[in-house]
Amino acid sequence: MGNSSKKYYKWYIIITIILMVFALMIIAPYIWMMLTSFKSTREVLYNPGKVMPIKWTLSGYITVLTKSPFFSWFKNSVIVSVAVTAAVIFTSTITGYVFSKYRFKGKNILFWLVLSTMMVPSQITMIPRFLIINQVGLYNSLQALIIPALVSGFGIYLCRQFCDDIPDSLCEAAKLDGAGDFRIYASIIMPQLRPCIAALAIFTFLDIWNDYLNPLIMLSSLKSMTLPLALTYFSDAHSTDISAVMAASALIMLPVTILLLCFQKQFIKGVTISGMK
Amino acid sequence: MKNNRFVYFVLLPIFILLAVFFVLPIVGGFAISFFDYNPLRAINHFIGFENFGKLISDKIFLKSTVNTLVFVGITVTLNIFITLVLAQLISMLPWAKFRAFFRVVFFMPCVAPLIASSVVWGGLYATKYGLINNMLKNLFGIAPVNWLGTASHVMPAIIIFTLWADIGYNIILFSAGMDGIPPDFYEAAEIDGAGMIKKFFYITLPLLGRTVSFVVAMTIISHFQMFAQFQVLAKLGGPENSGNVLTYYIYKTAFQTKDMGYASAIAVVLFILIMIVTVIQQRLNRVEWGY
Repeated sequence: MGNSSKKYYKWYIIITIILMVFALMIIAPYIWMMLTSFKSTREVLYNPGKVMPIKWTLSGYITVLTKSPFFSWFKNSVIVSVAVTAAVIFTSTITGYVFSKYRFKGKNILFWLVLSTMMVPSQITMIPRFLIINQVGLYNSLQALIIPALVSGFGIYLCRQFCDDIPDSLCEAAKLDGAGDFRIYASIIMPQLRPCIAALAIFTFLDIWNDYLNPLIMLSSLKSMTLPLALTYFSDAHSTDISAVMAASALIMLPVTILLLCFQKQFIKGVTISGMK
Repeated sequence: MKNNRFVYFVLLPIFILLAVFFVLPIVGGFAISFFDYNPLRAINHFIGFENFGKLISDKIFLKSTVNTLVFVGITVTLNIFITLVLAQLISMLPWAKFRAFFRVVFFMPCVAPLIASSVVWGGLYATKYGLINNMLKNLFGIAPVNWLGTASHVMPAIIIFTLWADIGYNIILFSAGMDGIPPDFYEAAEIDGAGMIKKFFYITLPLLGRTVSFVVAMTIISHFQMFAQFQVLAKLGGPENSGNVLTYYIYKTAFQTKDMGYASAIAVVLFILIMIVTVIQQRLNRVEWGY
């Protein structure tokens, strides 16, 4: 590449500038959100031409934190996301292991069933699922979000693909040494699945943290809401207080954005793993 | 290995959950579409294909279907074009740090809750104080535009937002595909005197065939199901239902009008549209792409 990279140097600069322009378009809404959240709403309305706040203020954030049960919403989101992510990692890895390493009757049909759950859009299933949740008395509770999400068809599929790459001889050798089925899962399979678990954890957490449709149909009271649903209520109730709405949006967008910046490599690898397997 | 007790011990709870929350709702979703179903009523009657018959003369349904197809068609086309070009530009850079930087920046909107970024973009599009009108005024002297309140502007506004929110995934997927192309291919082409654009069309694109067909299908399927931005940016379907799409119409019919039978019939239509895409993709997948 030595010679050609010199020849192309001019091109590299041009490409970098083009990409910078696009990157700026991606970041601009974030900057605008942050700056607006530090302005007073008065200033937003009467000085729209000014980019920087004339007077920096935390009034938007104070409105969010004092005039809404923001901490309950945050807590609800954390509970649901953490519970579902932990459960999905367990159910997906152990089911993937069973489908990959064991022979049993009806295996193909059952696996086909797992795959078919991934193909059906949530618009078809959401109405009956709402009726079922209502019927068993879980409506307007966090369990309504957690219990249906404990098993993930995609997770099982992903883990099975990864288990298939682990040599059977490894499990059989452990079996000869007297290890039980669960022991093989915990001490041989799990360590080998690490990259798969990381990707699955990241995307399950994001999916649940960002989920809007399920909370929208399953939750009704203000206190039991998770953040995305709560944001729409907050922004409707305070629609004239733009600074507070942007402060609330910032508080919801920042945790996941920081998570991305801290775990860049895992995120990028996770996308390729889950998209390509 | 064989151990039926262990297998059933693991699979039983898993398949009970799958049966209750996936299989039953799938069957139920189709079944309800044949009923005049209102959850508040004690008795709901079987009405055969009546819900589906009603669709043909429902102007809002027809408009939502057209809007959905227009939204998916335009957004996915632009999305694939933009992401292919940006992924190619990124992978041409010789500095690994720069490549990683751009991939992460473009991916940022993908991790944010769609509902929150929609609310932020609602502010960007605001007529009086929004950033977009401000920039148009300062740069080109254009008078304020009521983006979300004008029937002809709502859909373009949502398409631009959706592109912003969703290009990151495909950039990463295409980049990964491009990284897998052996560099000798490009070097050979260079010796033959091929420029950057020729290399893209004669090497990158053909070798990426399988990835592109997969990514296009996944993008179409996910865009058919998009919902949050329509609820925020096209309030109540937008002016003259210009921002009404099938997902929003299903939600509104099921949970506000409480006509769950009719909503399920619309959901079946959406399901069929998605199945068509899936089948076409699987056909394409059998084609021999390859080196």
